[in-house]
Amino acid sequence: MVLSRTPLSLYVHWPYCSFLCKFCAFSKTRVTKETDNERTILALLRELETTLALHKDKYLHSIYFGGGTPSLAQPKHIGQIIERASALVPLAADAEITLESNPTMAEVEKIREFRAAGINRYSIGVQTLDDQMLQQMGRLHTGADGLAAVDRAREIFAGRVTFDMMFGFAGQTPDGWSKELNAALDHADQHMSIYQLTVEPGTPLYRDHLARRTRLPGDETQAEMYERTVSICRDRGFEHYEVSSYARSPEARGRHNTGYWRGLQYVGIGPSAHSRFVDPASGRRVREVRVPDAARWMAACERDGQGTARVEEVGEEEARQEMVVFGLRMLDGIDNRRFCEVSGGRVLEEYLCMERVMEYVDRGYLVWNTGGRDCLSHCLAPTELGLQVIDTIILDILPAA
Amino acid sequence: MYLRLRPLAATAATATTLASTVFASTVLRPFPYTPGARLQSPLSHTRRCYAARTPENKRGEIDISAYPPERIRNFSIIAHIDHGKSTLADRLLELTGVITKSGKNKQVLDKLKVERERGITVKAQSASMFFEHDGDKYLLNLIDTPGHVDFSYEVSRSLAACQGTILLVDAAQGIQAQTVANFYLAFGEGLDVIPILNKVDLPTAEPERAAQQIESTFEIDSSNILRISAKSGLGVDQVLPAIIEKTAPPQGSADKPFKALLFDTWYDTYVGVVCLMAIKDGSIKRGDRIVSSHSGTKYEVTEVGIMHPEQTPTTQLQVGQVGYIVCNMKSIAEAHVGDTFYREKCPVEALPGFVPAKSMVFAGVFPIDAGEFDSLNESIQKLTLNDSSVSVHKETSAALGQGWRLGFLGTLHMDVFRQRLEEEYDANVLITSPTVPYQIKYTDGVTKFIRTPADFPDAATMQDFVESTMEPYVSATLIFPEKYLGNMLELCTTHRGEIQNHTFIDETRVMLKCQLPMAEIVTDFFDKLKSKSQGFASFDYEESGYQSSDLVKMEVLLNSEPVDALAAVMHKNSVVTVGRDIAKRLKEVIRRQLFDIIIQTAANGKIVARETVKQLRKNVTAKCYGGDITRKMKLLNRQKEGKKRMKRIGKVELPQEAFLSIMTKSQD
Repeated sequence: MVLSRTPLSLYVHWPYCSFLCKFCAFSKTRVTKETDNERTILALLRELETTLALHKDKYLHSIYFGGGTPSLAQPKHIGQIIERASALVPLAADAEITLESNPTMAEVEKIREFRAAGINRYSIGVQTLDDQMLQQMGRLHTGADGLAAVDRAREIFAGRVTFDMMFGFAGQTPDGWSKELNAALDHADQHMSIYQLTVEPGTPLYRDHLARRTRLPGDETQAEMYERTVSICRDRGFEHYEVSSYARSPEARGRHNTGYWRGLQYVGIGPSAHSRFVDPASGRRVREVRVPDAARWMAACERDGQGTARVEEVGEEEARQEMVVFGLRMLDGIDNRRFCEVSGGRVLEEYLCMERVMEYVDRGYLVWNTGGRDCLSHCLAPTELGLQVIDTIILDILPAA
Repeated sequence: MYLRLRPLAATAATATTLASTVFASTVLRPFPYTPGARLQSPLSHTRRCYAARTPENKRGEIDISAYPPERIRNFSIIAHIDHGKSTLADRLLELTGVITKSGKNKQVLDKLKVERERGITVKAQSASMFFEHDGDKYLLNLIDTPGHVDFSYEVSRSLAACQGTILLVDAAQGIQAQTVANFYLAFGEGLDVIPILNKVDLPTAEPERAAQQIESTFEIDSSNILRISAKSGLGVDQVLPAIIEKTAPPQGSADKPFKALLFDTWYDTYVGVVCLMAIKDGSIKRGDRIVSSHSGTKYEVTEVGIMHPEQTPTTQLQVGQVGYIVCNMKSIAEAHVGDTFYREKCPVEALPGFVPAKSMVFAGVFPIDAGEFDSLNESIQKLTLNDSSVSVHKETSAALGQGWRLGFLGTLHMDVFRQRLEEEYDANVLITSPTVPYQIKYTDGVTKFIRTPADFPDAATMQDFVESTMEPYVSATLIFPEKYLGNMLELCTTHRGEIQNHTFIDETRVMLKCQLPMAEIVTDFFDKLKSKSQGFASFDYEESGYQSSDLVKMEVLLNSEPVDALAAVMHKNSVVTVGRDIAKRLKEVIRRQLFDIIIQTAANGKIVARETVKQLRKNVTAKCYGGDITRKMKLLNRQKEGKKRMKRIGKVELPQEAFLSIMTKSQD
C-alpha cells in the first residue's frame, strides 16, 4: 500500500524551554506557571487534523519533535500526536520518529516513557563538554550530564541515539576541540550532528558579538576546527554525509533532515513551523509558515483550526534553486532524476552554468557520481574540498538571471 | 543645459490660491486684471509691494511691452557656497510676489535634486520680477549662477546676460575663495558689483571686518554697504532699490533690427529645445522667423515668454529683456550657447560668443551589467542633451567591456553627473579613476592629448619617440585663518604645488596663491584641505596651462594580468607611494576566492608593490535550518545581488570599491 504513495515528513514544534540558550534563533518561550501543556497539545492536535487532511494520499516516513524542548512535554501527549497523525495519514512500518531532548535529569528519567509512547530515535543536545561554556550559553547542565544522558538513552534506544556537539565557542582552540570531540565520540552511538556555532541575528549571542563582549575564533581557526571534525569523525568510523551530519552506516542517517535537503515534502505544526508540499488539489508547490509567537499561534488554532501565518506558492525556478542549494549540502549530492521531476523536465546539465561546473569538477570541488544511497540516477555532488566552500560554488554555478 | 522639469503643478496651485484669497479673483493667473501702466495696482500704495503684472490676452500671454531698457535691470548674485545666495533669491521672489511667502520656499531656483541635496547650484536659472520703485515700474531679471569652479563656464555665460551683480558675503565667514574667483569673473565682464553682507544677525557676524576685507581685496568702497539677513528678511527690502539705482540698465535700441544672445538652453520633452536669450536690440514675438548666426538655420518662433518663475508666455520680448524662446528646435546640438540670433533677412553683426567649455577631467563609465549597455547609452544621451559640457566618446576596455570615456569640467561636475545618472535614470554604473588631459610631445613635433591611461605610450615608445610629457596646471587661491598657514603650505607642497605668494586680506586671514598640477586636485585635495584647516579654508582655482612633467603609467596586475581599467598616469615621484597604497587597498576590498589572488602594481616594467588575497578555505555554514529553508534562500538571493554588482576580470571578481579605491588616495 505504502509503496505507491508519496512520502511525507511531519515536524512538530514544542515551543517551551526550561532555559534559553544564548545562540538559539528558533521560536521558544520559557516555561512559566502559566504554561498550559494541555492547551498546547489540544492546539497541536487541532492543527494536525486540519493540515494533514490534505495529505491522505501520502504516507508518513518520519516524524520529528523539535523545538523549543519537546522532551519537556509529557510522554503521553507525544503519544497522542503520533497516534492521531498515523490515524490521519498511514505511518510507514519503519518510520523514523525522533524526539529532541536536553540532558537535564528530569527529562532523562522520562526516556523509557517516550519509547513506550512511540519515539524510536532520540536526539540529545549535549552541545559541549565545557561546563564553563555551557553556563555562559545559559544551559542548565554539565558536560558530564550530557554524556550520562547519552549513555542512558543508548540503553533504551540502542543504535538510534544521536547527539549534537558545537564548535567555535569563544576561546576555543583546534587542539582543545579535537580533544573534546574525541571524548564525546567515546560515547557516541551511530549518528552525530556537529555544528559550528553560528551567530544568528536577534539572539543574545549576536548582541554580545556586536558589542564585542565575546570574541569568537577567526575564519582560519573555524576552518581548522571544521577540517579536524571531518577527519576525526572519519578516523572514528563516521561517514560525513552532510555539512554537519555524520553516521556510522547509511542506515543510521537521519531520514527526517535528509528529506529537507532532498527536496521532499513535509508538514510542520506548532509555532513558527514550516511546511513544503505539493497541494493535491491544485498541483502547485506550496510553502507554509505558522505564526511564530506561541500564544498567538495557539489562539489562531483554537479559532481557525490552524495557526498559519503565510502561504506562498513556490515557483519552478525557486524549487530548482532550493534543490541545488540544499542538495549540495549532502556529499551524495543532487539526484538528477529527482531534480528533473521538480524542474519541469530539465536536468541539471540544462539548468546549471555547465562551464563553471566543469571547471569545479576539473579542480576537484565537484564530482558526478553514479548514485549514492536513495539516488535514482547520476548525482552532482561536492567533494569534501568542495563542500567546505560550497556557498561560493553554488553562487557560481546557478544561472545568472 | 540640464533637463529642466516641467512647470510644477503645485506652484501653479499655490499661486492660484493666493490670487483667489487675496483678490477674490477667478482668473487663473495670480494677479488681477489691471490695465497696464495707466491704472494703479491695488497694492501700489504700499512700499513693500510688487507692481501689478500686466494683463494677459486670450492666449494667456502677458504684455510686457511697457518696460523699455531703462526700466529693466538684469542682475545675478555671486557668492561662496552657503553664503545665502539661494535664500536671498527666495526672499526677492517672495517680495515681488513671484512666489508666495509660505515659509516653504527653499532654493526655489535650485530645481535639481542634487542641487538641493548638496546646497549647490549646477545650472543657471532665471526669474523675472515686477517691482515698483519711486513710482516707476521695473522688470527685474535675476539670473542665477552656479558657485563652484567646475561650473565657472556657466557663471561667465550667465554674467554675459547681466549688467549688474550682487556680491553676497557671509558676515560671519568673510570673503572666501569662491567670492574672489566670482568677483574677478564679474569684474572681467564689466558688471556693476554691489557688495552685500548677509547673515548680519548671526551672533558670530563681524560685518565691520567683512567690509574691510571687501575693501582691501576688491578695492570697492564699503562705506554704504548693505547689511541684511536673507533668512529673517532684515534689510532685504533695500536690495532691489539698490539694484535699480546702482546698476546700469541694458544697452540697445528698440528701433534696430532684432538681435539676441543665446545664453542657456534646456530640453523639454513636449516642445523640444527651450532657449534662454538676452534681447540686445529690437523685439520678437510669436510667428517671427529667426536665424542662427552660427549655423544659418532658420526657425519659426512658436512661443516667447519670461520665467515667472516657470515659463510664462508674453506677447513679445523686446530690447533689454531676458526671456525664453521656443522655436521648433529639435536637438540641443543646434542650440549653440553664445550664438547670436537675428530676424530673417535682417542680418546683424554677431556677438563675440563664448569659448566652448573644456573638459578637464576624464573618466571611463561602464555599465555594471554588460546587458545594460543600451539602456545606459540612452540615459547618457538624454542627460547630455541638457549638458553639452560633457564630452562623450565610446571606449572599450579589455576588463570592463564596452563603455564611454566622458569628459567633465571638474570632479564635482563628474560627481553630479554620476548622481543624476543614478537618481534620475536608475543606472548602475562603474566610473573609473579620473584622469586629467595629459600631453605627449613626440620627437617628430606631433603633440597628442591623453584622455585615458590606455593611450599612454609604452616604455619602448617613451624611450624612442617621446620628447616630453606635460600635465595641466591650475592657479589656486586658498583663503584661511593665519594659524593654518603652516598646514596649508605643507598641503600644497606635498601635492607638488609651487607657492607663489601669500597676503593678508585682514589682520588674521591669509590668501595664498599657488600653482598646482591639476591631477593633484582631482582626487582628495579638497577633503584634506578641509581636514587640515578644521573646515576653515576655502579653495578655488583656474586653469593655467601646461608644464613639462615626468609622467609614467602605473599598471595594476591581478594574477599577472594587467587590468586596463585600473591603470593610472602619474608623476614619477608618486609611483612608489601610490603603488603601495593601491595594492594595499585593493587587498582590503577584493574578497577571498577559491584561489590566491596576487595583486601587483608596476611602472616602467618594474613591480612596485605586491599583495596576496589568500584562497578561501571554508565558507559553508554548518548550521541546521530545520524546515526553515527560507532563511537560507533569502541569504542566497542577497549574495546573488551582491555578485551581480561584481566585475569579473579573468577569474577574479572585483567589487566596485576596487575602482573607487584607486580614485581616493589615502592619508599621506
